[in-house]
Amino acid sequence: MSKVPESRAAAATSFASLRGQLHEAADRFADGPEALEGILLGMVDDVDRAVGEPLEIFPVCHHSPASALAMARRLREKQPKVVYLELCEDMAPLLTELRNCRLPVAVQAFASEIDGFPAEWAPLSVVAPITEASAEYQAIAYALDTPGVELVLVDRSCDHVFQWDARHEQAGESTGDDTAGPGTGPVEAALHGEAVGVEIGDLRPRFAELEEHLLRHGKVRHWSEWWHQYVEIPLGDSDHDTYRQVMFLIGSLFRRLAPGDGERVRVDEDRERYMWTRMREHLTTTGTDPADCLYVCGAFHAASRVEEFGVHGADSFTISPRTDTRWQYGLIPSSHAAIEAQFGLASGSVSIAATQWAKNLKRTRVKPYRLQGQAGTKKERPTKAAARAAVAPAAAEDQLSGFLSRPPVLDTLDEAELLGWSVDITRAARRNGYLASTADAIAVFETSILLAGMRDRAKPTPYDFQDAAITCIEKDTVPGRRDVHRLVEIMMGGDRIGQVGYDALPPLARDVHDRLAPLELNLQQRGVRRALLDMASHPELRACSDVLWMLRRLMPAGAARPIMGERRLGERSIQESWDLSLGTHQRALIELGYEGVSLEQVLEQRLRRAAYGPQATTADVLAAIEDATLHLAGRRLPDELGTRALEVLAAERTVDGAPEVLRRVRGLLAYYRTHEPVLPLWIESFVKAGYAHYCTLLPMAFTDEDATARQVAAMLGFLFSMESLALSLGCDRTQLELAVAQSHPQDPAKTALLWAAQVQLGTLSREQLRSRCDELLANPLVVPSYPHYLSGFVHALEPVPGLADMVVEAVSNAFGRLPDAVLLPWLPVLITTLRSDAAELAPLLVREAGRIFPARLAALDAWVPPWRQRPAEAPAVRATDGVSLLSAHPATCDALAELLGCTDGWAPADTQPRGVSLLPAHPATCDVLAELLGCDAPWAPAARTPGTATLMARHPATAQALAALLTGP
Amino acid sequence: MSDLLRAPAEIKYAEELDWLESIDDDPKPFSWRLSPKMVRLFILGSERADGLDREVSQKWFGDRSFVERSIVTLASDRGLLLIGDPGTGKSWLAELLSAAICRNSTLVVQGTAGTTEDHIKYSWNVSMVIAKGQSRESMIPSPIMTAMEAGVIGRFEELTRSTSDVQDALISILSEKYISVPELQSDGDGDNIVFAKPGFSVIATANSRDRGVNDLSSALKRRFNFVRIPVVTNKKSEAEIVRFRTEELLRRHQIELEVPPTLLDVLLQSFADLRASAAAAGSDDEKLESALSTAEQIGVLEDAVLHSNFFGESTLTARNLAASLVGSLARREPEDLAILNKYLHGVVEPRGKEEGGSWPEFLEGGREAIAKLS
Repeated sequence: MSKVPESRAAAATSFASLRGQLHEAADRFADGPEALEGILLGMVDDVDRAVGEPLEIFPVCHHSPASALAMARRLREKQPKVVYLELCEDMAPLLTELRNCRLPVAVQAFASEIDGFPAEWAPLSVVAPITEASAEYQAIAYALDTPGVELVLVDRSCDHVFQWDARHEQAGESTGDDTAGPGTGPVEAALHGEAVGVEIGDLRPRFAELEEHLLRHGKVRHWSEWWHQYVEIPLGDSDHDTYRQVMFLIGSLFRRLAPGDGERVRVDEDRERYMWTRMREHLTTTGTDPADCLYVCGAFHAASRVEEFGVHGADSFTISPRTDTRWQYGLIPSSHAAIEAQFGLASGSVSIAATQWAKNLKRTRVKPYRLQGQAGTKKERPTKAAARAAVAPAAAEDQLSGFLSRPPVLDTLDEAELLGWSVDITRAARRNGYLASTADAIAVFETSILLAGMRDRAKPTPYDFQDAAITCIEKDTVPGRRDVHRLVEIMMGGDRIGQVGYDALPPLARDVHDRLAPLELNLQQRGVRRALLDMASHPELRACSDVLWMLRRLMPAGAARPIMGERRLGERSIQESWDLSLGTHQRALIELGYEGVSLEQVLEQRLRRAAYGPQATTADVLAAIEDATLHLAGRRLPDELGTRALEVLAAERTVDGAPEVLRRVRGLLAYYRTHEPVLPLWIESFVKAGYAHYCTLLPMAFTDEDATARQVAAMLGFLFSMESLALSLGCDRTQLELAVAQSHPQDPAKTALLWAAQVQLGTLSREQLRSRCDELLANPLVVPSYPHYLSGFVHALEPVPGLADMVVEAVSNAFGRLPDAVLLPWLPVLITTLRSDAAELAPLLVREAGRIFPARLAALDAWVPPWRQRPAEAPAVRATDGVSLLSAHPATCDALAELLGCTDGWAPADTQPRGVSLLPAHPATCDVLAELLGCDAPWAPAARTPGTATLMARHPATAQALAALLTGP
Repeated sequence: MSDLLRAPAEIKYAEELDWLESIDDDPKPFSWRLSPKMVRLFILGSERADGLDREVSQKWFGDRSFVERSIVTLASDRGLLLIGDPGTGKSWLAELLSAAICRNSTLVVQGTAGTTEDHIKYSWNVSMVIAKGQSRESMIPSPIMTAMEAGVIGRFEELTRSTSDVQDALISILSEKYISVPELQSDGDGDNIVFAKPGFSVIATANSRDRGVNDLSSALKRRFNFVRIPVVTNKKSEAEIVRFRTEELLRRHQIELEVPPTLLDVLLQSFADLRASAAAAGSDDEKLESALSTAEQIGVLEDAVLHSNFFGESTLTARNLAASLVGSLARREPEDLAILNKYLHGVVEPRGKEEGGSWPEFLEGGREAIAKLS
């Protein structure tokens, strides 16, 4: 410990000459020495301080192969016992799983149930992508695979990322540059979804003017290109001290020239305080010598000036507790394109970094660290932990003066490599439909060199080559899927997409893969796999089919797509074929794993969430019931959700969802009737409640302007089609009749609907309906709204399907009777009204019309519509018509009697009025009537005699007079 | 210089070019007058960090890499085809490039439906042919042939407006770099062939809106490097362009009038608003007929400046600007006027109340102009 002041003193002296030079420079370039000198000398102070720190700080930059190379070298040389890494501390347990994955992958922290943050932030997601060509991977691989070495993550937890993130509070703004918008760019770029990215060593000027200046003078277009050109390549072969000092210097420069965003600076400083506090805690608890440790952090943080900086820093920072949010951790696949999109890097820059890394390794023969059994790499012999003595931090010598005054070592791209590229790009272009030839290869080669010359470079960089290739090969159109820009990117290493290995997957994802194993497909791989399921011959595939249907319900479109076969209530296919791309949608599957341990559990949770959500409508709940019935075995969940549907229905005051409710209830009823011994209780209650509910809402819906004819028709459909069930369960039809009687719609379509309902209920005859339609057509003032009436009638086909012929008649009448002057402007209205309002019912109408109209053109001339011929052809049928025939041809009846074995013979024709014979048979009736009328005369003898005889008996004088008349005098 | 309505770039910037040539010590390809880096400097302007004694103004506004790629193409074996939407400054870039490279930007063939092969190769002076027969004297070389003979850059404007067979006359010029004249007798001295001198190249421009009218043949395509010039969408660059071109116009008309920066902002903002509303419009009736290009903006400003100068109080006012905007953009009687009316009342009026500044006056001027027109 006592060495520290000495080393500081030594370091302080070693930078003296540089200070002197900078002081002079400040004098020369600025008006006064104050500001510029402050910055320039402050930078040297920062470097001095970081170099003098007893705990060795290793500054890195993200996706920098130079950093990775220096890290590998330093680790081999120093063999530290503890590695502190700037990465969210709660991600530590996952890092060992990296060996099961093909890089790049991202460590993800995910929270869907949040507590302590505003509800609208959910779900929270943080990703830290890791590539092989990065310094952090070197540190992780070394620490995890070397016995006796501890890896300590010291950065704030994912919870703190959001606690400290004030940007979220600015309403409606995104979380800043480092949030990749989902759906922007190609699929590969959206691999991280909406996650917030965290990364080690974000090093970029925060001073827009500075960046612009650097880009302009570097004659480059993008920051990544500038870095590659002016830092990456010169630093590639430098020694450890130079590397560190230069990185400290850059970190300090960007820090000192970062004005403005105070919020961001505050977060950065808090992170530094956090990290140093954690490191000191660790040092005190374990008693490790700081000289045996290595602290890997971004160069920006290495140049920190907070009080807590250093092993001897102040302990004044208290770490705030985490919220109660439940975080879950996992690995998700990442890709170079996703990293570039998330962190605003030039497209292709991470790929170029990967290529550069491979090239550096080959050139310098540095052996990189690699996790044992790392997927996607060749097997290696395990590295021996060489027990080398830790190198004590040597007194820092001034490497900066030399580095800054040397001209930059320019890219070592050789001619043979450039030639190879030119030939390759021409070939790739040709494969992609370009008319590229050898002449183009020559032109690309030549142009690259010319461009590099214009940009003051001795040799072309990959970016110059890209420009040259675009200039020479790209014409006015892109013939294929990829343009030259993209082809060069692919050629330079292309996008690499990581993959999370089976062992590193969450239980749900592993379970899915296990259950789909009978399909015998490699579903881990990216790309589309075709699965053929013949359940008739392989019944064991039914379980796979169940899983696939659930995946289709839960995963984004495209992850599992049925090509053949469908699953609906009560229907299962015996053969199915599927397009599966689970490998491509690995992130979605992994994120599903955060929600539960099996697909069934996740599905149940989601259905329950959908049904119990505050915005849930009856139709939503019924949809959830349908899904539960389809995908989950057992009646528990559907019954529970059914009860919920009843509650929601009772609380609903609009009829917006009526069509959907009708459709779903019908489907469910049909399913239960055919598949269950008795109807579930909930659906019986639902029909009862629905009948009463829609009866109550019907009069209002008829007058409400917001309720459409389709919705009212669906209500009527519910009422009419569920009527028998509802009445059997104790509902009363009077309720419906009253509801219809109370309805007084204004809207033509709804009026037509009401008429149809009245016809169905029997309060309006078809003749009356017909005459009403005729009146409408006869009234020129109403004719323009006739299509709306028709649309109402067409909707009425849903509740009253028997009215189809009337509707055809109504339409035909309109065509038959209206003059062309009215009809022609009216036709488009009719078509658009029918198409927009009643598209799904039109086929029914057409079918009915096909039945009524003659099928052949020739028959049309003689054809009379059935509604016209009805009065002529159908005279009133009298009951006696047949009877008279029988008496005229008694043989028919004789034959019949003989056949039946009747031998009684013919009774005499009964000419008397039939009621009369009843009276003598039942005299009591007449007695009572007589008594009632006050007649007390006795009964006359049975009227067997003709009526005149009775009269004679009553009036004997008449008879005598008649006799006298007949006998004569 | 003053007796030219519009001086070509090499005359207009002659003095600057001379100076650049005098300080240029980098290697120059072929017979170029300036090295590629100097050409870039001439076009894109200088900065303090270039360490030059005098400032070189920026003349073309756009991405640096387009200029670099264009220059490099001209230094190579291929022709340069600048392709882009109308009003993106293709021709201006072509003119600047020719002026900087060979001090001659006037060897131009204008492509039209009536362009024939003679316009590209050569034609004959008929009376001289009758008098003296066919000879080199009686031949009229095309601008392209002249460029070949002099080893300078020839330009072909609107290449895709001319028919395909005419375009294809360029193929042999670009690959063999000579034109043979079969009408002349060959007596072994190559008199019937016109060879191109080093430094010859062709800059063509093509309008990407014309695509499909006369598409280039594949053979011609591969003899050209395509550089696509995108539309300026950056407000800052657009302001630069408008300011630059307006100053030039004022100088040409010899008008001493200052364009206040606030009015320039008003103009840029109103065009940005109108573009946004055109982008959101559903049918053609809901958007202005004008394409609202940068060139159109310059036109509006020029109109307003001229009007203020000759009929006003020699100061540019927001009122004049609004009148000129309405006058230039209202082309269809009811539709365009309705859109402008909607714009004035829906956007300008609230902004005037909120921000004040020149907007209320702009609104007044616009109202008056619409009232006069309707």
